[in-house]
Amino acid sequence: MLSPDAFLFVAVVIFAIGLIGLMLRRSLFVVYLSIELMLSSVNLILATFSRVHGEMGGGVVSLLMIAVIAAEAAIFLALIIYIYRITKSVDSQSITQLTHKRDEA
Amino acid sequence: MQHLLSMILFLPLLVAFTMGIFRVSIETLRMVTFGSSLMVLLFAVVVTSYFNVEGGMQFVHNSSWISHYGINYSIGLDAISLLLLLLIALLMPLIFLAIWEEQRKGYFYNLLLLQAGISGVIMAQDLILFYLFWESMLLPIFIMIGSYGYGMRHFNAMKIIIMTVFGSMSMLLAIIYLGYTHYTTVGFWSFELSNLAQLAFDSKTSILLAGAFLLAFAIKIPLFGFHTWMAPAYSSSPTAIVVVLSAIMAKLGVYGLYRFGFTLFEIPLGFYTPYVILLCLIGIVFYSIHAIMQRDLKRIFAFSSGAHLSLITLGLFMTNIYAWSGGLYLLATHAIASAGIFLMIGMLGRRTQNIQIAHLGGIASIAPRFAFFFAFFALAITGVPGTGGFVAELLIIVGAFKYHFWVGVVAAMTMLGAILFIFWTLQRTLFGTTQEVTKHFGDLSAIEIGILTPLVIILLITGIFPSLLLDFFDASLSTNLEAFQGGVK
Amino acid sequence: MEALLSLIVILPFLSATILGISYLIDSKKNLSNTYYATIALTTPAIVTLLSFVLAFEISTMPHDTPLYAHLFDWIKVGQFHIEMRFMLDRLSMIMVGLVSFVGTLIHIYAVGYMQDDEGFGKFFAYFNFFLGSMLLLVVASNPIIMFIGWELVGLASYLLIGFYHKVSSNITAANKAFIVNRVGDFGFIIALSVLFIALEGKGFDFEAIKEGIEGLSSSTLSFVGALLFVGAMGKSAQIPLYVWLPDAMAGPTPVSALIHAATMVTAGVYMVARFGFLYNEIPHIGEFIAYIGAFSALMAALMASFERDIKKILAYSTMSQLGYMFIAVGLGAYGAGIFHLFTHAFFKALLFMGAGAVIIALHHEQDIFKMGNLRTFLPKTFITMLIATLAITSIPPFAGFFSKEAIINHAFLTQHYTLWIIAITTAFLTAYYMFRLIFVVFFAHSTKTYPHLIPLGKMIIYPLIVLAIGSATVGFLGIGHGFAHFVALPDRATPAPTHLLEYGLMAFNPLIAVGGIALAYRLFGTNPKPSKANIPIKALFIHKFYVDALYDRLFVSTLRSLSLFFDRVVDAKIIDGFLGLLTGGYRHLGVKLVSLQNGTVKTYATYIIFSVSLMSIALIYILEAQ
Repeated sequence: MLSPDAFLFVAVVIFAIGLIGLMLRRSLFVVYLSIELMLSSVNLILATFSRVHGEMGGGVVSLLMIAVIAAEAAIFLALIIYIYRITKSVDSQSITQLTHKRDEA
Repeated sequence: MQHLLSMILFLPLLVAFTMGIFRVSIETLRMVTFGSSLMVLLFAVVVTSYFNVEGGMQFVHNSSWISHYGINYSIGLDAISLLLLLLIALLMPLIFLAIWEEQRKGYFYNLLLLQAGISGVIMAQDLILFYLFWESMLLPIFIMIGSYGYGMRHFNAMKIIIMTVFGSMSMLLAIIYLGYTHYTTVGFWSFELSNLAQLAFDSKTSILLAGAFLLAFAIKIPLFGFHTWMAPAYSSSPTAIVVVLSAIMAKLGVYGLYRFGFTLFEIPLGFYTPYVILLCLIGIVFYSIHAIMQRDLKRIFAFSSGAHLSLITLGLFMTNIYAWSGGLYLLATHAIASAGIFLMIGMLGRRTQNIQIAHLGGIASIAPRFAFFFAFFALAITGVPGTGGFVAELLIIVGAFKYHFWVGVVAAMTMLGAILFIFWTLQRTLFGTTQEVTKHFGDLSAIEIGILTPLVIILLITGIFPSLLLDFFDASLSTNLEAFQGGVK
Repeated sequence: MEALLSLIVILPFLSATILGISYLIDSKKNLSNTYYATIALTTPAIVTLLSFVLAFEISTMPHDTPLYAHLFDWIKVGQFHIEMRFMLDRLSMIMVGLVSFVGTLIHIYAVGYMQDDEGFGKFFAYFNFFLGSMLLLVVASNPIIMFIGWELVGLASYLLIGFYHKVSSNITAANKAFIVNRVGDFGFIIALSVLFIALEGKGFDFEAIKEGIEGLSSSTLSFVGALLFVGAMGKSAQIPLYVWLPDAMAGPTPVSALIHAATMVTAGVYMVARFGFLYNEIPHIGEFIAYIGAFSALMAALMASFERDIKKILAYSTMSQLGYMFIAVGLGAYGAGIFHLFTHAFFKALLFMGAGAVIIALHHEQDIFKMGNLRTFLPKTFITMLIATLAITSIPPFAGFFSKEAIINHAFLTQHYTLWIIAITTAFLTAYYMFRLIFVVFFAHSTKTYPHLIPLGKMIIYPLIVLAIGSATVGFLGIGHGFAHFVALPDRATPAPTHLLEYGLMAFNPLIAVGGIALAYRLFGTNPKPSKANIPIKALFIHKFYVDALYDRLFVSTLRSLSLFFDRVVDAKIIDGFLGLLTGGYRHLGVKLVSLQNGTVKTYATYIIFSVSLMSIALIYILEAQ
């Protein structure tokens, strides 16, 4: 039986990778993957603590989250394709519609 | 009977939400809104018929709303509020008729909300309720100017909302302070006007509180110095909004002073009286001269509204029976006359797409009916005898002389003020030879004449038989005036 | 009788409404001129009949019991209780009779004059409206109702001066008339308000005022009297508010005859006579009025002597004659003033209508130096105008002789010799400029012919003849102060003249007039030349003393630049500038903050992560603290 610390350590590492990926990479796919990584690390933490406390609630929630992540993947990928069709690019720097400068008209 | 006022208040809201939920077509929308405004008018007439002129506050309805803070849904009417209610109830159907061709649904929704807000301000007897309606009345105007306006509409919409909200914020603070004081001195929260009027303050506090209220109303009226939102907002507004702005909204500032200012702070307002009177007198002269060189019809009549509102406020602050009656009378007749003139400017704008005076002219020779109605309303604004404005100005001038000789002299200048620019405006708009934009000017249609005729008739009746209306609110006024003068002593 | 009195005022308003509505509805011009003319003429005719019935009734009653007709309470606020009540005493009876009779004749004339105008119906709507307003003015039983009539005649005058509204300068003239009149009304309303406040609680009918003013101080009364006269200055075109009257000739000629000669402009005189009881308390203000009147008379006569436009000559002449009336009422000879008003209405209306006939016949030519020899072409017009001219130059036995002589002699007998000299000089000038007009228009260039002369209809000629008979005869009413006794106004006492003095004065006035006629004949009898502005004093007269230019510089330009100043400096710079300072700091902060919002997803994600981290740390601290 491994100590829960090992699991938590892995989870934190994965989360950090996801975080760094999210902040540094420009491709929307990679950004998406980073977000998924972070979500997975949270899942791992949930499952770990579920085991530590001997309750199945956390495990159930993590299963539920996997289902949600799957649904999210569908929407997210569709959105990326949609954005690509409009901007011909999957570079997150190129999508700046939210800035204050556009709304002059 | 007791729910009649609530029906007047909530019918427009109900209609707006129902129509919004079902996303009805524009044809249904205009029929239903017009029908509902007629219904409100009918209710208002019923209220009037059951109204007892000697009876003070009537149709009172009071139920608890946010009971922890003593905020009540408390409404009622006296003769003066009834007068305003009748005005708005009468004008709304005419406005809906005037925008009959309008394709944008937002017009109808916003106007319905506006009507509800205004009715609420008129009826509210609870200060928080009043504040709620006071602010909610601004929203539709903001949206309408911003979405359907002309010129620098975004900037001007922001300007009107920032300036008026600044004023009402100070009023809100004062209201909350009043309620809190009621809590600390009496022991329970209350924002009911009649309760708060019982509170006593030391003179410094009460002067501050009165000032906070005064600021809100002075911006709304607007008095001289608080007026720079007025002309831009008028010139950017769509017709329907200008009519409401000038005919009703501006008058609500005076109404607020009368209802809340004078009830709550009769003594500290005495402290401000000389300053307010000075501002009013400056306003009368300043607005009239300012209007001379304006190039846009809406701006010209915006300043004319400003001058008349200064005169009304002057009448209110002179606190004698002539000036009060005159002020109130002017409030009603100027509402009708300015509604008429702004409706006509809208009709003119629809025909020419241009209300710059330099491009107009010669309308009288090809559209005599238009010229007649336009000249009639313009003359009614200058206070020609036979129209209600004359009676009102006469009473205010007499009251002003009773107050002080020099105040009287400046007040009498209104007789000169309006004609300085209105006759020149008439000359350049209606007379002379036609220009490019007025070459194919169509005369008024039957519907348009139908919209304007009731206003003409009201102005004539108020001018020829002023006793009818004056007797109606005489009792209310005398009672309040006596109470007020008693308070000062 | 009461009902008849009310009808006199109501009927013209009613028919004006009917005519106006018909005109507005009838956009395709289906209604004939006959329809409009029938309604328009019936009304003044009925009113004239009614006024004769009432006149008969009044003259049989003692002079201090007027006839009253109470319609309704107009205003009742506090002590301000104004009734819509009409009063017919002998003064207002004279006015009602005069206005309706002369009014009827001018209505008939106007039907002929306006025959081809497309605004025929509108014209008569305005005309009837004017008639009603004027009658309201004269029968009002309190000054407020009188003021309503006073304002409404001003409005009617505005509408009618600007009747040819396609020409912008006509509207400018109309505006000028209304605005200058309102300046006078400004004085009027101040006077009324002060008077009301001083009398508060004692009622505000003329009778109540008469009783009430006894308790008032002389300074209050002087103030009220002077400001009331400011109203009269505006309406009756006296110095310095006369500038509108010459320009008012832009209206159709019947308008000039009815409003700017016979009726409306005399309202100021009527008002002073009506307030005679008040002016008797303050004779110094009365003298002031008389001097203003005298100078107006002289100045107008000087300007008339150099004018070329036939209607403007008559306009100045009206102003000049009004000056005479003010001399009379100012010196307390109300009866004499009203008598001159009465006779003047006949001959001045006639002169205007004659001038209108000439203008129409010559295709709207108004310059007298382009006319001449017309007596052979327009004999009826010539004879009637000659009678009127003899009347105005006070040649006996025509009407003006009796009335003007009474005024001039009154000035002499009350020892106002300056006034007397001015009045005599003006009489000389009157004879000069009126006969200048007659000679230039009807005699000069005896070979001149007019191939395209438009024939004048009966509707135009008959009223001229009726008025000519009037101009020749109504003067006899004044023999032995008969008229003044009948009107029974509170005249101030005058020293009775000796017989010798009386006859001397009586002979002196016509002699002066003959002198003026002789001068006019010498200069203009055969070969007239228009005067040129070759010497400064002449230029002053031709340019109307530069008063228009002065007013323009003083008021119009000042107001316009002030308006621009308010717009560009006070509003834009001072008030909005101040508000800008308040909002400015807020704005700067916004500009700084806005750079945080750069639109890239990554930056936003970073913000979120940082904030979540911060919140987590805070949470841990809070939890540990517990």
